[in-house]
Amino acid sequence: MSMWRQFGPLALGAILGLASPAGAVEGTRAFFPALEAERGRLVINGATDIEAMEPLIRDFQETARDVAIDYTDYVTNDLYRDADIACRLQQLFGDLLLSSSVDQLVKLANDGCALAHVSPATRGVPAWANWRDEVFGFTFEPSVMVYHKDFVPPEDVPHTHGELTDLLRFKPDYYRGRIGTYDLRQSGIGYLLAFLDAQQASTTYGRLLESLSRAQAVLRCCNNAVLSELDSGNVYIGYNILGSYAYAAARRNDKLRIVLPRDYTLILSRGALIPVGAKRRDLAGRFLDYLLSERGQDMARREAFFFSRGGALPAEVDGPAKLVESGIGRPIRIGPALLAAQDRLQRSRFIEDWTKLIVDTPVRLRPN
Amino acid sequence: MKRRETSLFWRLVLRVALVLCGGAALLSAAAWYYARAAADDAYDRLLLGAAIQITANMTVDAGNLGVTLPSSAFELLGLAERDRIFYRVVGPDGRTLTGYDDLDTGVDVTAARTGPVFLTTEYRNVPVRVAVVSRALSDPSFSGWAYVVMAQTTEARRALAGELTSRAMILVGIMSLLALAGTVLAIRYSLLPVDALAAALRARDPQDLTPVDADMPRELKPFVGSINHFMGRLDERVTLLQRFIADAAHQIRTPLTALSAQVDMLEDDDLDVNRKRHLGRVRDRVSQLARLTNQLLSHAMVIHRSDSVRFKPVDLGDIARKAFRSTVPITVDPDVVVSFEDSAEPVFVRGDAVSLREAIANIIDNALQHGVEQRLAVRVRREDDRALVEVADDGPGIPPDEWSAVTARFVSTKTGEGSMGLGFAIAAEVAVAHRGTVRFLEKGEGDFTVVLDIPLYQEGT
Amino acid sequence: MRIFLVEDTRDVGEAISRRLEKVGHTVDWQTDGQAAADILEFTDYDLVILDVMLPGLDGFEILRHLRSRRKTTPVLVLTARSEIEDRVGALDLGADDYLVKPFDFRELEARTRVLLRRRQGDPTNLIECGDLVLDRNSRSVRVGNREVQLKRREITLLEVLAARPGRVFSKDELLDRLFGFDENVNSNAVELYVGRLRKKIEGSSVRIVTIRGLGYQLVTDEAA
Repeated sequence: MSMWRQFGPLALGAILGLASPAGAVEGTRAFFPALEAERGRLVINGATDIEAMEPLIRDFQETARDVAIDYTDYVTNDLYRDADIACRLQQLFGDLLLSSSVDQLVKLANDGCALAHVSPATRGVPAWANWRDEVFGFTFEPSVMVYHKDFVPPEDVPHTHGELTDLLRFKPDYYRGRIGTYDLRQSGIGYLLAFLDAQQASTTYGRLLESLSRAQAVLRCCNNAVLSELDSGNVYIGYNILGSYAYAAARRNDKLRIVLPRDYTLILSRGALIPVGAKRRDLAGRFLDYLLSERGQDMARREAFFFSRGGALPAEVDGPAKLVESGIGRPIRIGPALLAAQDRLQRSRFIEDWTKLIVDTPVRLRPN
Repeated sequence: MKRRETSLFWRLVLRVALVLCGGAALLSAAAWYYARAAADDAYDRLLLGAAIQITANMTVDAGNLGVTLPSSAFELLGLAERDRIFYRVVGPDGRTLTGYDDLDTGVDVTAARTGPVFLTTEYRNVPVRVAVVSRALSDPSFSGWAYVVMAQTTEARRALAGELTSRAMILVGIMSLLALAGTVLAIRYSLLPVDALAAALRARDPQDLTPVDADMPRELKPFVGSINHFMGRLDERVTLLQRFIADAAHQIRTPLTALSAQVDMLEDDDLDVNRKRHLGRVRDRVSQLARLTNQLLSHAMVIHRSDSVRFKPVDLGDIARKAFRSTVPITVDPDVVVSFEDSAEPVFVRGDAVSLREAIANIIDNALQHGVEQRLAVRVRREDDRALVEVADDGPGIPPDEWSAVTARFVSTKTGEGSMGLGFAIAAEVAVAHRGTVRFLEKGEGDFTVVLDIPLYQEGT
Repeated sequence: MRIFLVEDTRDVGEAISRRLEKVGHTVDWQTDGQAAADILEFTDYDLVILDVMLPGLDGFEILRHLRSRRKTTPVLVLTARSEIEDRVGALDLGADDYLVKPFDFRELEARTRVLLRRRQGDPTNLIECGDLVLDRNSRSVRVGNREVQLKRREITLLEVLAARPGRVFSKDELLDRLFGFDENVNSNAVELYVGRLRKKIEGSSVRIVTIRGLGYQLVTDEAA
């Protein structure tokens, strides 16, 4: 698998490195010193953009003023690979892992790389967002479509997966090279969403994939990369973007609009896991409890992820009023079923098929 | 060292409780075993289903074996919510197609050709249940056997087994408690005859040496038999002793009569005052000795008769009159008014005339010897269903605190002069044998009275 | 009086003989049962004193023989047998009284006297006077159900007075009747006996009234 990576615009510091034998490939690293004399340091390895986590971390530090936090941002696949290696070699790899690619976290837990954490806070987590008290979903993030208002006329705005397919089919030239989505080869969450799309509606997915292929979709490693293309107007429509990132981008650029597909909307709950090697599992547990607490959830809704399980959709988001109750929103259940997505043969074949269709096929059609 | 007191009841309860505990443990173990089997059976079906789903998704494409892992297979296993899942798909060449390469069950996978193989083993240091399922591939371009090794940790199984076991154990516990409670009741009930026997023994007159005649369960018979045997021997001894006393007393009579004859022949006229006084004392002692000897014999006879003579209805008035006449000597002090008053109607009791006469005679004799000053009255009367013989005298009487003592055998209130002798003991003995009592009425307005109180004879009883 | 004594114990026999002879009786003393029975075959006595345990023939046998020949001679049985049934048996066989050894010799003498008197006395043993019944056999006086034991002289006194109720008996007359002429008794004795008798017949309708200077009189309340 290629080692592509692209860094978010707000990265505080970046060190590019190859995988060391220990598997510690560091991404963007941020250090949050303790508000008071440091008495403990929590090392978090996350596949979650740091700007989303920062308000949460800072708010947490208000409740734990003597805790310093060392946060390193990874791409989901790297995070998984390093965590997996560390687990096999019984090495240290942070105290807490955060990843939007929950299937990878489930795989880690299945492989015995996680520590269970039970507290009053974890008891409030719904069953679909808790597996074995080891993997917890702490966010509520619909997978959305984002479009740039200036380039997508209102009649073009797709409201379902089918409408997007049709749009690309009927206006191929206008949208060629203007649709952005994940590169499955690089993005774990991209793969997961695509895999689940394929499972939700295989026909629709096949047709959509074909349309994306024909439209020479722009492939990026991460949400923010796609969103920055949208921001700059290079891309008109982003597909399968996590709502939280999309909303953050839309707040910065009012040209960006968010649509929740009305046929079905996958809802991802970002996962957290305490690895077996955790040195400060107590601090990790405390932070996890914070994330799951009302205060943490409230902060997340306001500052980090903008969507929440119980709350209404944020303003200016185009979508059904009651996401889960209407049956449109489909939370991704954190559980062993995700292991199917993590099967190596399955994964490689899925990505291979995808690559064949999206990457290889359009080469001859691509004008540049 | 004090020996710990053991109770038959607690011994039984303890032993039954031990047996019940043992049984409960055994049942619990069995319940655990079956619960495990049941849990395994239930979850094995899921495991098998998942494995079969995977084999069903095997495809051969251009000579290559491929497999799509259906999410539903994992969802099926996900019904055991907390359990981890490991799998391995093995191609005909023995290579791992996908899944956990190191998932080696140690079992020859080819064994699964004839049917699914289940086994319990450990993988990554956790216990897992493994199912191996085979599929024969018979594509023209590709043929052979492919296998799916499906493993799942056993948390849900253990949890189910644990739950089933604990429920079974609760039932076993309740049953054991019920059984114990039942046993306690049953033992209490079974031991009732023992209590009854104890009560019967306790209630017995200490002088009653007749065999214990109680309704006993067979198990207690030897025990009662031993008691009766012992009592029999004791009774024999007592009888022997009494006979000995009787014999001895009888033997003493003749020389005693002779002695009293000799004393009688001493002419007091020739003696000085001092010697006359001594002679008087000798006479008194001789007559006291004579009286005691007679009482001993009388006592022995009364005892003997109490268990050898059949009772029959007798007129107590008649008996009392005879006793009165034979007991009050002609030589009694002429200043004493000695009277006898019979009941207006006959007073029949069920008893032995001889013993009764002896009893009454002894009471009268006692009054004559120790009580009477001016007046001795013997009355026979009936009161409700009781027959009473009252012997009243105007003497000092017996203080109430000595009443119980004077009726006890061989006990007298004083030693030496004025001893009550055996008179009341004889009377009491006879009274008890006749289901009656000897009572005393304190000297108050009336005279001190000794009452022989015996139930009236009633036709048909 | 002639008394026949059958007693094998020498001391006892001697004592009885001595005591009875002292009060003026003639006593024939025999120690062997068979010999005694033979003697009784042809000799009449006023009283027989009979020991039960005898060599030769026992006392009961002798008694049976005696009674089988319809002899009414009073018999006093002396028994040393432990069972009182012997006494009952003795009475059934016709003994008039019994004494259990060891006994008081004064009592023996008293009983002997009673038996001898009974033999001599009035064949009617019951005398009625008012609500009083004098029973000479049991030496008692009865009022209703209550009977009171009387002494020999008390009986005699009552007999005398009751023979003629209402008649006044002088003290000297009563003295003669009670003690005979030969006995030298103080006349106060009459007062003593009257006093005792009054006490013993208390509660009856019959009273003994003292008539000062004259003597005593028996009065029944009903008659008065």
